[in-house]
Amino acid sequence: MKHGNRIGSRLFIGLTFLFLYLPIFLLIVFSFNAGESSAVWQGFSLDWYVSLFQNRLIMESLYTTLLVSLLATAISTFAGTFAAIGLYSLGKRRRDALLVVNDIPMMNADIVTGVSLCLFFVAFFQGWGSFAQWFNSVQGAVELPERLTLGFGTMLLAHISFNIPYVILNVAPKLRQMDKNLVDAAQDLGCTWMQAFWKVILPEIKPGIVSGALIAFTMSIDDFVISYFTAGSSTSTLAMRIYSMTKKRITPEVNAVSTLLFLSVLALLVLNNVREVRQERRAERQEIREPSFFEKLSFRFHHPSFKWVRRGVTAAMGCVFIVVVVLLTGAAYSQPVVNVCSLGEYIDEELITIFEDRTGIRVNYQTAESNEALYSLLKSGGADYDVIVTSDYMIAQLIEEDMLEELDYAQIPNFDLIDPRFRNLPYDPENRYTVPYTWGTLGIIYNANMVEEEIDSWSALYGDEYAGNVLLINNSRDALGEALLYLGYSVNTTDEAEIREAFDLIADANARGVYQAKVSDQVFQKMEGGNAAIATYYAGDYLSMLENQADGVDLRYVIPKEGSNWFVDALCVLKDAPHYDEAMEWINFMASTEANLANMDYIWYASPNTEALEQYPAYYEENSEDGEPLDPELYEIMAPPAEVLERCESYVVLPQATRKLYNDLWIELGA
Amino acid sequence: MSKELIRLRDCVMSYGDEVVLDHINLYINDKEFLTLLGPSGCGKTTTLRIIGGFLSPTAGDVLFDGVRINDVPPYQRTVNTVFQRYALFPHLNVFENVAFGLRLPKKDAGGRKVRVPEREIHERVMEMLEVVNLKGFEKRPVSALSGGQQQRVAIARALVNRPKVLLLDEPLGALDMRLRKDMQNELKRIQQEMEITFIYVTHDQEEALAMSDTVVVMDGGRIQQIGTPEDIYNEPKNAFVADFIGESNIIDGIMRADGVVEIFNRRFQCLDKGFAKDEPVDVVIRPEDVDIVEEAAGQLRGTVTSVTFKGVHYDTIVDFYGFKWLIQTTDYCPVDSHIGIKIDPDGIHVMKKSHYSGMFGDYSSYSEEYEELDVVEPDGEDGEESDSQEGRYEE
Repeated sequence: MKHGNRIGSRLFIGLTFLFLYLPIFLLIVFSFNAGESSAVWQGFSLDWYVSLFQNRLIMESLYTTLLVSLLATAISTFAGTFAAIGLYSLGKRRRDALLVVNDIPMMNADIVTGVSLCLFFVAFFQGWGSFAQWFNSVQGAVELPERLTLGFGTMLLAHISFNIPYVILNVAPKLRQMDKNLVDAAQDLGCTWMQAFWKVILPEIKPGIVSGALIAFTMSIDDFVISYFTAGSSTSTLAMRIYSMTKKRITPEVNAVSTLLFLSVLALLVLNNVREVRQERRAERQEIREPSFFEKLSFRFHHPSFKWVRRGVTAAMGCVFIVVVVLLTGAAYSQPVVNVCSLGEYIDEELITIFEDRTGIRVNYQTAESNEALYSLLKSGGADYDVIVTSDYMIAQLIEEDMLEELDYAQIPNFDLIDPRFRNLPYDPENRYTVPYTWGTLGIIYNANMVEEEIDSWSALYGDEYAGNVLLINNSRDALGEALLYLGYSVNTTDEAEIREAFDLIADANARGVYQAKVSDQVFQKMEGGNAAIATYYAGDYLSMLENQADGVDLRYVIPKEGSNWFVDALCVLKDAPHYDEAMEWINFMASTEANLANMDYIWYASPNTEALEQYPAYYEENSEDGEPLDPELYEIMAPPAEVLERCESYVVLPQATRKLYNDLWIELGA
Repeated sequence: MSKELIRLRDCVMSYGDEVVLDHINLYINDKEFLTLLGPSGCGKTTTLRIIGGFLSPTAGDVLFDGVRINDVPPYQRTVNTVFQRYALFPHLNVFENVAFGLRLPKKDAGGRKVRVPEREIHERVMEMLEVVNLKGFEKRPVSALSGGQQQRVAIARALVNRPKVLLLDEPLGALDMRLRKDMQNELKRIQQEMEITFIYVTHDQEEALAMSDTVVVMDGGRIQQIGTPEDIYNEPKNAFVADFIGESNIIDGIMRADGVVEIFNRRFQCLDKGFAKDEPVDVVIRPEDVDIVEEAAGQLRGTVTSVTFKGVHYDTIVDFYGFKWLIQTTDYCPVDSHIGIKIDPDGIHVMKKSHYSGMFGDYSSYSEEYEELDVVEPDGEDGEESDSQEGRYEE
């Protein structure tokens, strides 16, 4: 019986650890996979690691991560150590109270810390702006910057602030264990307080300081949430970069970078634990023994006659630290920059490298989940993008709210290449604010192996036939638009009754369990893997899914008979963009035939560039692996002909009241 | 014993309303072994810390060689301290602990930094380790030493700086009985060898009597009595001192004339003079000064209520008219036997009444009082939290 119990408990332990570590183990294994699959082993290769180190965006975010972690660790270790010493000079009651206060930020949800820091910074910047304006207006000697934005500095401050409690937590017990009389004794023997600190307190609490610093560094390196809210638009850490890479599908490259991140954090933790265990052993073993080689070495090193060697080593380490910081900062911040925000993974990233090499302008490229998410980000004041890519109706709204800057078309000669069809559209009738980026249609994507018949109507989204296998698009404009089309109304209706009728259709289907989930870019993984039968998304993304569909999945795209939406996404510049000229260069580059061809090939969205549209089939043939020509049917889905567009309606900006209705209804629908 | 070295003039130490030291006046001579003796919270450690420079008195002056040093920080005083728990530096070995003070740069008369040469440091440290009998231990980590050895390191570390005064804060408190006795002799020897002033804080009266040239008895932030050990024992000034130093029976009496004191309505011959006629007084009778005689021959008659064998003598508690005395005698008297006692005139000491009168000297609650005397004083007496000592106390 006893024996059985032991096997049972061992099995249980085994299962627990399996559960804990299997996912990470798989991630590590598949980072060495030769193929793209995250499920089928196709042989060993280091290709993903190679491509990782060649990926400029990842390497850059690695620099940023190391820089912010090193600086935050150094500063918070310094501040935290002295804070802990300060705490110990207080009475017991106040000290204990403060230690509890110190614990709270560590237990607090990261998201709360992140959001509150973000709000704090934004509020401070606003206050600073008014002050700087007033200050600059009353005197002319010193010009204060009026506009401050989130960025590396704010992220560093955030990291310092969440690291300090960890340092205090590690230093405090060492101070508590320390005999209080030691400081008195040192002073009694002739030390000033500062000498006593260096000669007695520091050696005593050094283990605590080192482990505090290690933990702070670990926390900094793997922080995502707080960085996300405080980094602003120009800075990305490695964790943020990984997150943006996983939006559509998890590539083996993500596996590789995650593996490296995991291993480095693991190494830090192991290092810290080994140190602690060693110290405990040393404390236990008090009998006289021959000191080990390292102890002898360390004793030699600490011997007073080696003072200069010691100082030299310290100085050298200090110099190395400064040099590393300068190099990292220099590498990241000496160039002119342009901050870009786009929807989803919406660019061939090689274009960024080409642009940077050619112009010397650094591109900070970030992505937003949806038009609406981008809009609220802009409204919150937490972003300082120069160029954004967003959709027609959102552009109209931004123009209405005076949030866009007019473009200087003299600096954008490539605008001439834009097909007249895509100029002077209703969202920007005089074409003063925008350069079209892509265009396309919204349609139904379905897995032919999971449905009975061909699908040609929006009704598939609301009936019970495919209950549990339908993905609802997580975007109020598109979701309600589809329902309005199905009911025979205009997608731009402002009639509340019609909108409510459309909403009821969705809400009813939702209540009946028709929808598996509300999705944005998660649609890729679900449809490619055959985890859902029906979804609505954009034509370009359908083509991208087609390329990645799993075996046994047969994805089709259809523009339903009731008609659909056709849209233009365009480049525009935000009001008061700090890098206006760089923004013009970027837009001009993105409007070039070269960029449009590359983008079409990468994201599968149609280009508004006349030359690119003409040349694409040839470009495809030339670049495909086996010289296979472009399937004309697919090209038609990508860039549908005029008669298809005629069946479609484009969104126009809705009046404020209707927008509010959309918003309220969407919230009502819930998660 | 010659010239005065340290003087505390009207020193007051108070934290808010709490007065820890109440107008202390004290002088300490060069090369003197002076002990501050008193129970927990009496102000003895505070006094020591004021001399060491760790505290600055709220009012009053501290003079060193005639110069006011109230505001001189500890690191500039020619005074060194041996701390209660030794406060050795755990990250340094024995040699480096002792050398700690020597390695610090000192300012010379011209204000330039001067360092003690390494050769001299070595010589002085080794010399000092020899004085404290720790030769051959210099490479050991301090954590590998016994309590007594750590104590010696602490003493060597303080003395190597050649201070004019060594302050010792309950240095033997953490040692066991035997070690304590050895170290008492050792300390006395060191003090005589080094020819410097020792200021010693303890709550252990035996220790104080055995080692000191001068004992300062303190209680409630006040000095109760200053004197040689003999004075303090034989001529206690009040009931507190009489009770704190050794065992005493303290009885209410009336001074009927010079050399005549009345206890329990019986007159006894004594040597004390100078009291007013019929003045109420406290009478101290040491337990060993009482002779037990036949009941009929006794000056007082009483009943034995308890007997405890102590080795050399019996502790016998005798009830006299409801008041219980402790008598130490080599004669065994069984419980409930009726006995008489005789007291020689030099066995009686008469004290003026003080606010301590009536608080001590009655052995009615004999056993409890014994326990109370045996209580080892806990950590520091200034109300410092004891948690600072956690994990540091590992003999």
